[in-house]
Amino acid sequence: MSAPRDRFKGGLASRLVQVGFLVAISVLWYLATTRWGVNKLLLPNPLNVWDQLVDVIAKGEYLNDLRITLTELAFAFAISMVSGTLIGFAISRSPYFTKVFEPLFAGIYSIPIILFLPLYVLFFGLGPASKIALGTTISFFPVVLSTIAGFSNVDRVLVTAAKSMGASDYQLFRYVLVPAALPVILTGLRMGFTVALLSIIGSETIASLGGLGHRIVNLAENMDMARMFAYIVFAIAIAAFLNTTVSVLEARGKRQR
Amino acid sequence: MSATTQQISAPSPGIVLRLKRYMLRHPGVARLGVVLLLFVAWEIAARWFVDPMFLAPPSKVLFAFDDVLATRGVPAALRLTFFELAIAFSIAVVIGVVVGLAVGLSKFGNRSFMPIILLLYGIPQITILPIFILYFGIGAASKIAFGVTHGMFPIMMAVVAGVQNIKPILMVSARSMGASRWQILRYVIYPHMIPSFFSGMRLGMTGVLLGVLLAELYVSTAGIGYFTSVFTQNFDPTKLLGLVAMLAAMAIVLNEVVRRAEVHFARWRD
Amino acid sequence: MTTIATPDAAKADAAIRVRNVSHHFGEEGEARHVRALLDTSLDVERGELLCLIGPSGCGKSTLLNVMGGLFEPTTGTVTVGDKPVRGPMPHDIAFIFQENALFPWNTIFENIMLGMTFQGVPKSEREDRARRALEAVGLDEFADHYPSQLSGGMRQRAALARALSLETSILLMDEPFGALDEQTRMVLGEDLSVLLSRSKKTIVFVTHSLGEAVFLADRVAVFSARPGTIKEVIEIDEPHPRKPEFMTSAKFHTLRDRLYELLHDEIRKSMSQSAKPKRAYEDAVAKGEA
Repeated sequence: MSAPRDRFKGGLASRLVQVGFLVAISVLWYLATTRWGVNKLLLPNPLNVWDQLVDVIAKGEYLNDLRITLTELAFAFAISMVSGTLIGFAISRSPYFTKVFEPLFAGIYSIPIILFLPLYVLFFGLGPASKIALGTTISFFPVVLSTIAGFSNVDRVLVTAAKSMGASDYQLFRYVLVPAALPVILTGLRMGFTVALLSIIGSETIASLGGLGHRIVNLAENMDMARMFAYIVFAIAIAAFLNTTVSVLEARGKRQR
Repeated sequence: MSATTQQISAPSPGIVLRLKRYMLRHPGVARLGVVLLLFVAWEIAARWFVDPMFLAPPSKVLFAFDDVLATRGVPAALRLTFFELAIAFSIAVVIGVVVGLAVGLSKFGNRSFMPIILLLYGIPQITILPIFILYFGIGAASKIAFGVTHGMFPIMMAVVAGVQNIKPILMVSARSMGASRWQILRYVIYPHMIPSFFSGMRLGMTGVLLGVLLAELYVSTAGIGYFTSVFTQNFDPTKLLGLVAMLAAMAIVLNEVVRRAEVHFARWRD
Repeated sequence: MTTIATPDAAKADAAIRVRNVSHHFGEEGEARHVRALLDTSLDVERGELLCLIGPSGCGKSTLLNVMGGLFEPTTGTVTVGDKPVRGPMPHDIAFIFQENALFPWNTIFENIMLGMTFQGVPKSEREDRARRALEAVGLDEFADHYPSQLSGGMRQRAALARALSLETSILLMDEPFGALDEQTRMVLGEDLSVLLSRSKKTIVFVTHSLGEAVFLADRVAVFSARPGTIKEVIEIDEPHPRKPEFMTSAKFHTLRDRLYELLHDEIRKSMSQSAKPKRAYEDAVAKGEA
């Protein structure tokens, strides 16, 4: 009889645990910096970080770095999206090519491609070009692999049924293949976007002249901890916002096919 | 497409056709051909078209392995990286399994902590890499720590999924035959978890490789990162490619070991 | 109130006694709330094969699960022999499920051994009993295959072997051939009839198939649409093991038509209901309320 109330109580307890966890971390952080004398150069006071964050946003100081990062991301993702879906579709048309290329791409994808960053830097310089190139390379693989998977796993029955009703090649593509493959492709695009963002911030962190990753490293080198933490929070928020947006778009695209 | 080509070429096949048919029957060979072709293109580009300051032909890179290994400190740096990978992976597996079981086996734990785990997993960890270096120094500790935080989440998720996605009918069936809680854990949940545990290990290995190599590349005053920046600054693409190739080989071997284990332990799946 | 209990004289010999059992899924007022079974009473006689038949979602599987102690009924009681059922009774009751409930990571032989491990059979006896059970269902050559390597029919034979190896007096079968094709079901039905006529087990068998019910059962209990209860019980007076010829006899057809007549309206009624009960049932199983 009391099952629904129990369930409600269970849900409430879980929420409490989650809120408690976050509160505990914040309190511990605060106490560590104010009471327990943890070195400010290792851990800045959270209130101080908050002030810095407000300052960064109010002054618009972040704009230039954010613009660089987002531009790199836009180029990288646009290139990998177009090339990945086109190449993936072309390969998926032939079961033979699928058998040749799919394991090849999957194999390369399993290597940490970030390893090649020094080569990209050597080749494209420290500027945005190397970030775009690396971001493109890394995000190409999830896109192409999911496109191949999406198109080659379309139910044969659907294709046969459409053909039996006299569908032309274009109609088959537009009304059967694309809608059937779309969910898988969208998932691949979302993954591609996420890894592009990660690899761009990553390569900015390792070797670059600008961008959010670069700014964080710069502040770390100058031991400006509070501001660095502020930028980290900012970067995480931006990443969370972008990833959420893309996930929402993915879900919407899947519903509307 | 492949089928028609084969049928047409049935009578008195020439050498080209025979080769073609062989390739059609063995996509693996064709795949190898594609890889070789890429290397040939690279060789040609590097020999005749690209400034040798930026790109070295693969033939030269291959013969430069000795040179790379003869560079003072490189073998030690490679060994250290391997050591970091192994330690980070082991720690990630232990944390991943313990946390994954704790969270996956209890409804309350799952409901309470899964969102927190997902939240932490969603953080782009690369942004906090400088903090890791600050706290753990430029030595092995920071790289191991960064590898662990990258590797443990996928393992956790896989263990949770493995514990939870059991077909309910199997649990009901075990209960109907009188299985105790312990027996259900031992004979139903545990074997069911194994394949997803191993695919988690594979993803965990990918994460560990990423974390450790990112940290290695970031620290330019020691280890692999030092040598890559030296080779880059000296415009020595041969040695740089050689070093990267060795690390890539290390990554491929480690991935392959875990993948084999995965295939081996999931063989009951048709 | 339907009370399909055998006369008092025979009661002493009832293997399973179901009294006024109702079962709800979910809570009153919830979207998922489903009244699956309504005030049902039934005696299963020792050694008989009783079929439960009815439209989908009528609660026949629910009743089977209640009998076996996998669901606790919302109201009412079930007794097996003279013990009230309060949970699984692995020493008295073995189940065979519709879906493939073999453990996919174990071979057929290991699956049978594991069932006896769960039930608590001494180690020394297990292997011998497993071999005998496999022989009985004609799967001795496939002992070391994994379930995924066998056909659906063979998997259900293996599940039957696992249940037989437990040597219980009662066998509860929940649409055991439901996922198989017509021809396989026919052959398995014949084999089952032969096997069981030797074993003297009490069997309750849930099915959708009219033919299967008539061919296998000593009595057929016909369910009404949801909330289900037993509408009528029909006797099939034909000795076991049943021969394939029985299926073409006039008697078979008369009985089958009679069943169809009883079921027809109920099926119509249940089709106009939503497809929810199955969901509610699966939810219950998944949540472990079962």
